[in-house]
Amino acid sequence: MTGRERMLTALRRGEPDRVPVWEMAFNEESIIKLGAFFTDDLPPVKSAQKMSMEEKVKLLNTLFTVARELELDGLTSITLLGTEAVDEEHVRDGWGRILRISEEGEATAVGGPVSEPSDLRAVKPYHPQQTDFLMLLASKGNLGEDYAQVLVQPGPFRESWSLLGSMEKLLYYYVRNPGFVKDLARLVTDYILEVVDMAADLGADVIALDGDLAFSQSTLMSPAQYEEFVFPFHREITEHAHRRGMLIIKHSDGNMWPIMDGLVDAGFDGFHPVQPQCMDIGEVKARYGDRLCILGNIDCTYLLPFGSPEEVEETVKETIRVAAPGGGYVISSSNSIHPGCKPENYLALVRAARKYGVYPISVD
Amino acid sequence: MSEILEDLKRAIMQGEEEQSAELVGRALETGLSPRAILEEAMMPAMEEIGERFSRNEAFIPELIVAAAAMERGMEVLQPALSGEEVARGLVVLGTVHGDIHSIGKNLVRMCLEGSGFRVVDIGEDVPTERFVEAYREHRPDILGLSALLSSTMQRMPEVIEAVRAEDPSALIMVGGAPVTQDFADRIGASGYAPNAFEAAVKARELLGTGG
Repeated sequence: MTGRERMLTALRRGEPDRVPVWEMAFNEESIIKLGAFFTDDLPPVKSAQKMSMEEKVKLLNTLFTVARELELDGLTSITLLGTEAVDEEHVRDGWGRILRISEEGEATAVGGPVSEPSDLRAVKPYHPQQTDFLMLLASKGNLGEDYAQVLVQPGPFRESWSLLGSMEKLLYYYVRNPGFVKDLARLVTDYILEVVDMAADLGADVIALDGDLAFSQSTLMSPAQYEEFVFPFHREITEHAHRRGMLIIKHSDGNMWPIMDGLVDAGFDGFHPVQPQCMDIGEVKARYGDRLCILGNIDCTYLLPFGSPEEVEETVKETIRVAAPGGGYVISSSNSIHPGCKPENYLALVRAARKYGVYPISVD
Repeated sequence: MSEILEDLKRAIMQGEEEQSAELVGRALETGLSPRAILEEAMMPAMEEIGERFSRNEAFIPELIVAAAAMERGMEVLQPALSGEEVARGLVVLGTVHGDIHSIGKNLVRMCLEGSGFRVVDIGEDVPTERFVEAYREHRPDILGLSALLSSTMQRMPEVIEAVRAEDPSALIMVGGAPVTQDFADRIGASGYAPNAFEAAVKARELLGTGG
């Protein structure tokens, strides 16, 4: 099987020849550290927003080298909306959002074009452009048809709060102005549907809908609020992705138990990353394994940053024993390979997945 | 409890900002002491919503609107308190260097304020030296450190060490998604809580002002 076949089989809850290995994201520093195992031609360590075009190209090439050398089964691309610098630490994107750049992770919206409900009418919707998909195009061109192409796109909840520049503000309006919350979700969902269309046109296989809906204790919103403010838009997006021949997964950190049924009803094919601190993957497999592909669960909070390669191997073995039998499992970290993760631990994850992940699974 | 205080408590719990301000005004007019209004209606409202939140019966939106209603009520109450010291203590709060996330810290701030603390929020991505400066400047009863990422969480021991060099008895609380009690113990933090409401409970415990 090719990596693409392996990923798509698992996402359809089938059993491939071996457990697919994939990541939702690698940060710049992680790509460079992993790349150093295979090449000397590396860009300097800094956030992509601060890189020159030449350095960005080098960063992408390093990522493709890592994917090829480690025989990953799929690769995730992000949309790269054109931004202009506001100051050393902030950029503005096509929606007029002010994003704060971070060395430790992705940029986060700290200001938006909407600060209160009355601003909504004046917002000029941004429409995706092909140039926003350069990473997907490069990945497809560089890695060819053998890799599953995943495009990550923030979901309606995250896009909504980033237009406000604050998650707290959006959650405040959940109670104070439900109509506004729905209007905002409508606006961003129309944009997301355009992104889905363009991703399909450019050859993406899978959409990963990003944006946390939960924290360690529970979901950010109640199940009733999820039903009212997020679910209808989720369903619209999954139906559209399916119509366009793609599969679609939901990513959210945290304890998602209260709305797991909602994710199934909304039509998602998979759920990532089953954060081990708050969700037991065995229980997720038992309760949802017949309806959702499960992705993730290898702890990137403690294990990958501070554990030993031997401990990583042990965890991978145990996770495969619990989650892989019968198919429908894609292995990855419990969020991303961030700068805190030791590169040798990621290599141990990939090696162990190959060692124990061959179907039929026979791990004691 | 008088009917007006019951109404006020309910208004705050339901996040009714205007009602909260109006009811505080009316309570003052009827001659109720500012302290009674605060301690018998306003703080109990935040405590009750916080407890519901801890039991997953209320969610972050309810917590946020209640905090907003509390704040509106406090704007009316504050002048009447006329310098009367009611704060349970002063907390300086910030997210450690490299970490740009704010929501966890902001929720902790809301719960601390709702619980009667005065809070100085020094923001996100705060360098270690800035924590030391803020500690020196404000001499808080408690310093609170927040982190969302396991990479940035590693800054916490550095801040604790630097602040304790300034004041060996400094009370320092830590929290955020990757932080555990075990980690807090290991780095010598004075306290840890798994969520924003529990953080306010823990802060009261540390200062011996009721759990």
